[in-house]
Amino acid sequence: MAGNYDPSFAKEVFDNVDSGEEIKMCMQCGICAGSCPLRHEMDYPPRQIFTLIRAGRRDEVMNSKAIKLCTSCYRCKVRCPRGIPVIDVMHGLAHYGIKKGIIPRKGTAAFGGEFWKMIYNIGRIDEKTLPLKYNLLEGLVPGIKSTIEMAPMGIQMFLHHRMKLLPERKIKGIKELRKMLDKAKEMGKGGAN
Amino acid sequence: MDKNIGIYICTGCGIGDMLDCDPIAEMASDEYSVSICKNHPFLCGAEGVDLIKKDIEGEGVNTIIIAACSPRVNYDVFDFGQDKIIERVNFREHVAWSQAEKDENTQMLAEDYIKMACAKIGRTDLPEPFKAEEEYSKDILVVGGGVAGMTAALETAKAGYNAILVEKDPKLGGFLAKMKKNVTLPYKDISDTGAEAMIKAVSDNPKIKVYTSAAVEKISGGPGIFSVEIKANGNSATERAGAIVQATGWVPYDANKLGHLGYGKFKNVITNVEMEEMAAAGKITRPSDGKDVKNVLFIQCAGSRDPEHLPYCSSSCCLVSMKQATYVKEQNPEAVNYILYKDIRTVGQSEDFYRKAQMDGNVFIRGSVEEVGESGGNLYVSANDELLGEKIKIEELDLVVLAVGMVPRSLPAEIPKIKAPSDSKEADADGMIEVKPDSGFFATSALNLAYRQGPELPTLKYGFPDSHFICFPYETRRTGIYSAGCIRRPMEVGKAKDDATGAAMKAIQCIEATSIGMAVHPRAGDISYPEFNMSRCTQCKRCTEECPFGAINEDEKGNPLPSPTRCRRCGTCMGACPERIISFKNYSVGMIGDMLKAVSVPEEDEEKPRVIVFVCENDAYPAVDMAGIKKMNWSPYVRFVPVRCLGSIALVWVADALARGIDGLLFMGCRHGDDYQCHFVKGSELANTRLSKVSETLDRLSLESDRVKFIEVGITDCDKVPAIISEFMETIESVGPNPYKGW
Repeated sequence: MAGNYDPSFAKEVFDNVDSGEEIKMCMQCGICAGSCPLRHEMDYPPRQIFTLIRAGRRDEVMNSKAIKLCTSCYRCKVRCPRGIPVIDVMHGLAHYGIKKGIIPRKGTAAFGGEFWKMIYNIGRIDEKTLPLKYNLLEGLVPGIKSTIEMAPMGIQMFLHHRMKLLPERKIKGIKELRKMLDKAKEMGKGGAN
Repeated sequence: MDKNIGIYICTGCGIGDMLDCDPIAEMASDEYSVSICKNHPFLCGAEGVDLIKKDIEGEGVNTIIIAACSPRVNYDVFDFGQDKIIERVNFREHVAWSQAEKDENTQMLAEDYIKMACAKIGRTDLPEPFKAEEEYSKDILVVGGGVAGMTAALETAKAGYNAILVEKDPKLGGFLAKMKKNVTLPYKDISDTGAEAMIKAVSDNPKIKVYTSAAVEKISGGPGIFSVEIKANGNSATERAGAIVQATGWVPYDANKLGHLGYGKFKNVITNVEMEEMAAAGKITRPSDGKDVKNVLFIQCAGSRDPEHLPYCSSSCCLVSMKQATYVKEQNPEAVNYILYKDIRTVGQSEDFYRKAQMDGNVFIRGSVEEVGESGGNLYVSANDELLGEKIKIEELDLVVLAVGMVPRSLPAEIPKIKAPSDSKEADADGMIEVKPDSGFFATSALNLAYRQGPELPTLKYGFPDSHFICFPYETRRTGIYSAGCIRRPMEVGKAKDDATGAAMKAIQCIEATSIGMAVHPRAGDISYPEFNMSRCTQCKRCTEECPFGAINEDEKGNPLPSPTRCRRCGTCMGACPERIISFKNYSVGMIGDMLKAVSVPEEDEEKPRVIVFVCENDAYPAVDMAGIKKMNWSPYVRFVPVRCLGSIALVWVADALARGIDGLLFMGCRHGDDYQCHFVKGSELANTRLSKVSETLDRLSLESDRVKFIEVGITDCDKVPAIISEFMETIESVGPNPYKGW
């Protein structure tokens, strides 16, 4: 079955997504895809996301894993020969997805809450306890199950000195950091929820 | 001319450390009775040049042999006027920098080069520039009144020369006048074509004479002395011209051959030329019912880059489609343009217009068309979308535009036929034979040259006039005739203007050089020209057939009628002539023959083989020079003989050299074939053909065919030169010494 080209979704993106109009300039060279460190985790590379938008494939784009995976490393934006702010578009699409209720807000918000708490307590992220705490939010049994699923990654991180066996210690000057975080919360720029 | 020879050896640049110069001087005065033979440590310095000048004045030296650096450098320093014969011996690159120090073989090599130079000047006369009997015309004939033709005429007039413009249509302007808008520098947006202003500028210019509804009936003569018969509106006129610019342009590829894209089947499938005409006429509508258009799809490369149709890219269709998409958007901002492409090719700065087209929201789809069809009165196109990796279908289309490519107007619709020679096996029942693209008969009528080798410019396989369009643009295989615009290669308006300006400048150069008897590219400035000793001509027609530039006509009896102004001085005729009746004042079969005889051939038991390397002056010689500059080493047993073009080699040299005991002959020429690099187009190819027949000569002498070898050398192949020589020396060693030594 041949897919049809439908310009209406592209128009929706141009009108609603942050920097959405910039994707008109994409010439499909694929430098973004080649530069992306998370390319192997993505279902579609950024280049193809843009093609899908042009073709009007709303469902494929809005449900794609790729738009949620961007870690803001800025490589694509720096390298794009047409100067497209690829990361802005990817985040823009994710935000638009959340706004439209296509991407659930719950999971990210919960993760954000745990992240904030940990930073507030010890000033850094403990790679062991954060996923554990986040997973346990799902309930005890599924939480342990999810954590066991992540064990191979944990072992690799340990082998590469990316994770310690002992708990992480508090940073020096945690009080100053907390003051900053309190201030940020006061300004409405963060917080545990 | 009485030659008073002076030999000057420079001992600078390391030459003095490598050679013992005194014995060389002694040898020259003994064997060639040269009275003046001097050394100088810095000959190209003021003091060194003064030394020579003093001898010219005081001693009356008029023939100067300078044994120093390569003739490719310091030619301005060692220029003592046109009344002196100057021979440069390359002691630096070919001896000092590439051979062993103070070695017996190096010394012999240097002596041989001096002997060869002495032999050469013995046969050299001062060339006198050719002067035609008629008065030279300095007007330029421009054939074709499109954007390239008009620009060529205007630029000619701006440079102060008169132009004669011949246009086949009643109105000037060509395709430019048919366009609605144009995309040109700075390629940011569409702009007015400027056709009317340009036509007015041409018509109002007192230096430009315009013939419309006209055709060139006949052109005879040569550069400087072209006689042009023009038929305009039924009247005949004769003009004289010094050079010609052919700018006869292009025709769109015949869309009737594109049935698979729906052309001819659906009314709403049109070509880009029809789209442009429709836009220029007013409004873009659906041809089927005259209704407004909303969805338009452009099919790029319609027939282009397709081995079944046009195998090449026309480089302008992408821009044209984007321009026409802009028309559609201007007419209806809600309209959607789809551009289905293989590759977007917006060359150079025109990439900016691609950006604009993208910003306008045109939908670019990379893929190939599967089907163009109709349903419910609207068209649909199914295609393979390469970037989505799936089949797509675009429906509700009002218009499908086929971006067809450019075909040179010179390409004949059918392969032309000429009368076959009586011994031809391929002739049909009527005694006719199909013309190959590589000839002056393979082109539609535009110039009607009264040349023996055909009425038009020889074309390449796609029908564009043959020239090396990277190394020598505008040049064609007919001297003084330059091609410009889309007849040369497909291009858009901005490029065509540049092209026409270039061609006009080349035409002016040609006129000025011809008027003082000088050759044009690639031997620009050469005043020698071939002279024919007609009393010994056997009417074999080889010279008239083989001249790469069609410079030689012939009379009914087959006698050659040379036109020196058409000549590029390559010497191909000289190499072709079996009677050796063609020679230049400073280049002849006898002269090179004497040089070969001057090479000393040691006895067999000395185990010093001798190999002559004929090097093309244009590419192979510089390559050897560069190998010398890089201080690469090669065998001291080789002797380089520069030739104007390998096309000028005479087989008698092979026989002469081998009969004297020379062990081998190597020919270094340019690449030939489809991507040739030969400066004289056909020279190295002809040399190769001639040498392939040399085995006959070798058999007669009972010699091995390995002793003669042709090698293609590019100017960048300097690194390979020593290896080529050593390989050949190994071959010679395995074949053994020439049994004719000492005869």
